[in-house]
Amino acid sequence: MQPLLRTLFLLLLSLDLLAQDHVFLETESFTDKGGWVIDQQSFVVMGSSYLMAHGMGRPVKDAKTTVQFPKKGKYQIWVRTKDWAPFPKGPGKFQLVLDGKPLNQVFGESGSDVWKWYPGGEIDVQNEQMSVALHDLTGFNGRCDAILFTNAPKFTPPDKLDALTTFRKNLLKLTDKPTEAANFDLVVVGGGIAGTCAAISASRMGLKVALIQDRPVLGGNNSSEIRVHLMGDVDKNHYPKLGRIVREMDNGDPGNGNPDAKEYGDARKTAIVKGERNITLFLNTFVYQAEKKGDKIVAVIGRDIATNKETRFTGTFFSDCTGDGTLGDLVGAEFRMGRESKAETGESLAAEKSDNFTLGTSNLWASLERDTVSSFPETPWAMQFSDEYHIDEAKADWQWETGFGNFNTITDAEKIRDHNLRAIFGNWSYLKKNKAAKYAKRELAWVAYIGGKRESRRLIGDHILTQMDIQEGKQYPDGTVTATWTIDLHFPDERNKKYFEGQEFFAATKHIKVAPYTIPYRCLYSKNISNLFMAGRNISTTHVAFGSTRVMRTCGMMGEVVGFAAYLTKKYNTSPRGVYQEHLPELMAIIKDETPPGKP
Amino acid sequence: MVRRSDRHIEQLVFAALFSKAYLKKLCVLYVYLLTITTAFAQQLVKARDYPVVINDTTTYTLKLALDKAEQPLYFFCHVFTPVCLTGECKPVYINFYWDLLGNYTHFDFPRGEVLTKMDHKAFKPEDYEKLQGILNNPNSLLKDVSMTDLVGKGTENLADSVDAKAGATLKTVKNEVIDGAVYTCYTLWHIAHGKVVTEMQQIAETYKNDALLHRFLASDNHHYQYWAMERVMTKEGVIPADFQGDILQIIRGKNIFTARYALQKTSNQLFADNARQNWLWATYQSAAYPLQIAILKKMATLSLSTGLAEQTAQQVATANQEQVSLLLKILNAQPTLSAKTLQTLAVQLTNPNQLSATAIYQALEMRHPKNREVQQKMTEYTQTLNQTDK
Repeated sequence: MQPLLRTLFLLLLSLDLLAQDHVFLETESFTDKGGWVIDQQSFVVMGSSYLMAHGMGRPVKDAKTTVQFPKKGKYQIWVRTKDWAPFPKGPGKFQLVLDGKPLNQVFGESGSDVWKWYPGGEIDVQNEQMSVALHDLTGFNGRCDAILFTNAPKFTPPDKLDALTTFRKNLLKLTDKPTEAANFDLVVVGGGIAGTCAAISASRMGLKVALIQDRPVLGGNNSSEIRVHLMGDVDKNHYPKLGRIVREMDNGDPGNGNPDAKEYGDARKTAIVKGERNITLFLNTFVYQAEKKGDKIVAVIGRDIATNKETRFTGTFFSDCTGDGTLGDLVGAEFRMGRESKAETGESLAAEKSDNFTLGTSNLWASLERDTVSSFPETPWAMQFSDEYHIDEAKADWQWETGFGNFNTITDAEKIRDHNLRAIFGNWSYLKKNKAAKYAKRELAWVAYIGGKRESRRLIGDHILTQMDIQEGKQYPDGTVTATWTIDLHFPDERNKKYFEGQEFFAATKHIKVAPYTIPYRCLYSKNISNLFMAGRNISTTHVAFGSTRVMRTCGMMGEVVGFAAYLTKKYNTSPRGVYQEHLPELMAIIKDETPPGKP
Repeated sequence: MVRRSDRHIEQLVFAALFSKAYLKKLCVLYVYLLTITTAFAQQLVKARDYPVVINDTTTYTLKLALDKAEQPLYFFCHVFTPVCLTGECKPVYINFYWDLLGNYTHFDFPRGEVLTKMDHKAFKPEDYEKLQGILNNPNSLLKDVSMTDLVGKGTENLADSVDAKAGATLKTVKNEVIDGAVYTCYTLWHIAHGKVVTEMQQIAETYKNDALLHRFLASDNHHYQYWAMERVMTKEGVIPADFQGDILQIIRGKNIFTARYALQKTSNQLFADNARQNWLWATYQSAAYPLQIAILKKMATLSLSTGLAEQTAQQVATANQEQVSLLLKILNAQPTLSAKTLQTLAVQLTNPNQLSATAIYQALEMRHPKNREVQQKMTEYTQTLNQTDK
């Protein structure tokens, strides 16, 4: 097409679009969420968060908001949702309530687990202001991404990701420049134990730090949203100084999946971070875009998981503490995911052939004994159990785990969580109905809707830690963090596999004991992105070595080292690699506590 | 066995001895044990003795309980075993019960006997409850650990508890033992799941006859069902006529796992005639989802009656995508489809699920339908497809 013609065509198209009135609602931005929760775990594949009715089988309170129409008249209603458990029809049913009147149509039971727009009929808008509510019908994880009212009768909103993302951005008016946060010495993406420790460590070395976390709480797997206890020792350290910040984060050991949320100390962790004058904390912010110049990251852009407001963070150095290696992936950092082969690494515990196998994700849960007998709904859409096979337990532990190569822990995060929920609810329904002597008065007290992920990308650094490094106890000159956890590589439990082959949700493990060993500093920065550190499960290791480094106290100490190293990168205007090459004695001196931390 | 009058007295004594909190738990366990022992006692007429070596040295008498008609009911054994730790031993008297295939079911005690912990305190009701849970688990981690792994060597571990500082596996084992009674748990588990199990399985084989097989197939005990299925089916899954009814009952039974196993193992011969095919289809309608999937997979290997092929095509309208693809696989596997069935499928081309609609179109295309109406619907489908593409 000629350029002139093309311009004319686009102009006509835009005129046509201008004639349409779209009123677009992201559900996560509803003013009153009622009992619905925000889920951002699938942001990378959906480009958005969504609201979910996580009521553990009891309908949750309506989520409400008010919407302003540009003019009165007839509008078509579109609801973006899915049937999360189409076996053959799922339980996630909900209705849309407009000005107090529920629409007849029930959403969430289409039998298709693909997110898409569903027509909701037509409404005659008489008042330009209208209340909109999501009315949950079951308490079983019905979900809604967005709602669209349009007065273009033939308009169908796009379902394909690219088109949908553009559509969202236009309607959310995100095309303008995002708000600029200040410029930071170190931008830490991910507020789990590793990221939080990295931020605190750097802050105490005098760096100006941004800590960006995609949930309302810090601590990641150790937060009350996931409830995994801290493992790995801090009392066998080669350099005893490491672990000081981890100890501050440590709220005692409530075990895995303790029914009491307070045991995990969310508020205390946040208070510690807020007490650091050099840290600016950005909660509820999902980093989904990055800017690069050469081999350096210049800025990252985060979207608020509730308001959808965008913020741009510029910085000198960045640390990927996302677990998933999200930032590394955005900027093209070299990474591995899955298992290496024996031939590739020479490790005796490696797989014969390289593959996509990863450790799985846990959604922990717990029940509590109550005074009265209670019932639980039938769950025909969930996993089915019988006397022959069920899990006779009143709470979960680490074994409740899905995603052993059959699901991608990043792109299938939603499916994995949903698979876990189908196991939990199906088993619980069985226990309540068939094992009354033990479970009649027990009630689900808590089920995690945020998955506790073990493994995803491993960003490659200047050194890749291997099984031999660990078992031979190699002490490299840059050996820093001391790790003590066994090589703990999970696989599907044999019995679970027998009954649910390809759909396993219960794990087993073999612990290969290790003597305390140190992790080289070179595993904590990217090989090809010159200003990118990493700490947490996504550091530079093989799959086998990761089996030992992945526990949270160990990850937290990696963060502490990143903080110290970031201080030196700033002091000498060098790169993370430059610190290794030129200033390793000084880094080690800080870690050995031989030099008092200097002030910049 | 406890007599009725004794039971009342015992209950009163228990009520006096235990606080309310204990009583609740105790009652649950007590009623549970009473129910089992009473149920067993009612049928027991006599027992046959089998000498067995339970641990390395001691010979015990394994008893097989029989009913009036001399049919085997269950195994039991009065066990006396020393539970030893650092040279100190204490005697334990306990009765173990197993089903006919050596699966542990429960325990009770000779009158007056109880279990005690290292500090000589008697087990609490919840300890007995936990012990039953431990013994009930044939896959317990206790299987693969040695006693020294559990409590370590030396005198510092006299508390008979799993060392809290032990490795991760042992920490998990900690959930499977009772503090202060690790040796007891370990010893008893290894008796309940030890060599004696093989002995019982061998004895069971000597009682195998048609009556026992029918009884096992109709049982609620899935171990019995699998054992009997293995024995009535040939390698190819062929079942003698007089056992076919039993197998069909299992397929419609409430245990999803035995149902699926039975269906997958049986040869297609079982579903060769119309009546059986209709039976299978009726089963599909009321089956749990995983069994529905297994039934559809089975049907894809059958040559269906025209009527059932038509019903299969109709089902497409209400099925989810996984089911639709399996339903079409069944239809695609049929040598011919009636004109009516092709029409039924053509109507489904408007299926809102794009993937399902495409699969239906492909299923029709391979049949080169002559019917104009069908052709028309296929053309309409391709036109909508083109529109969507734009």
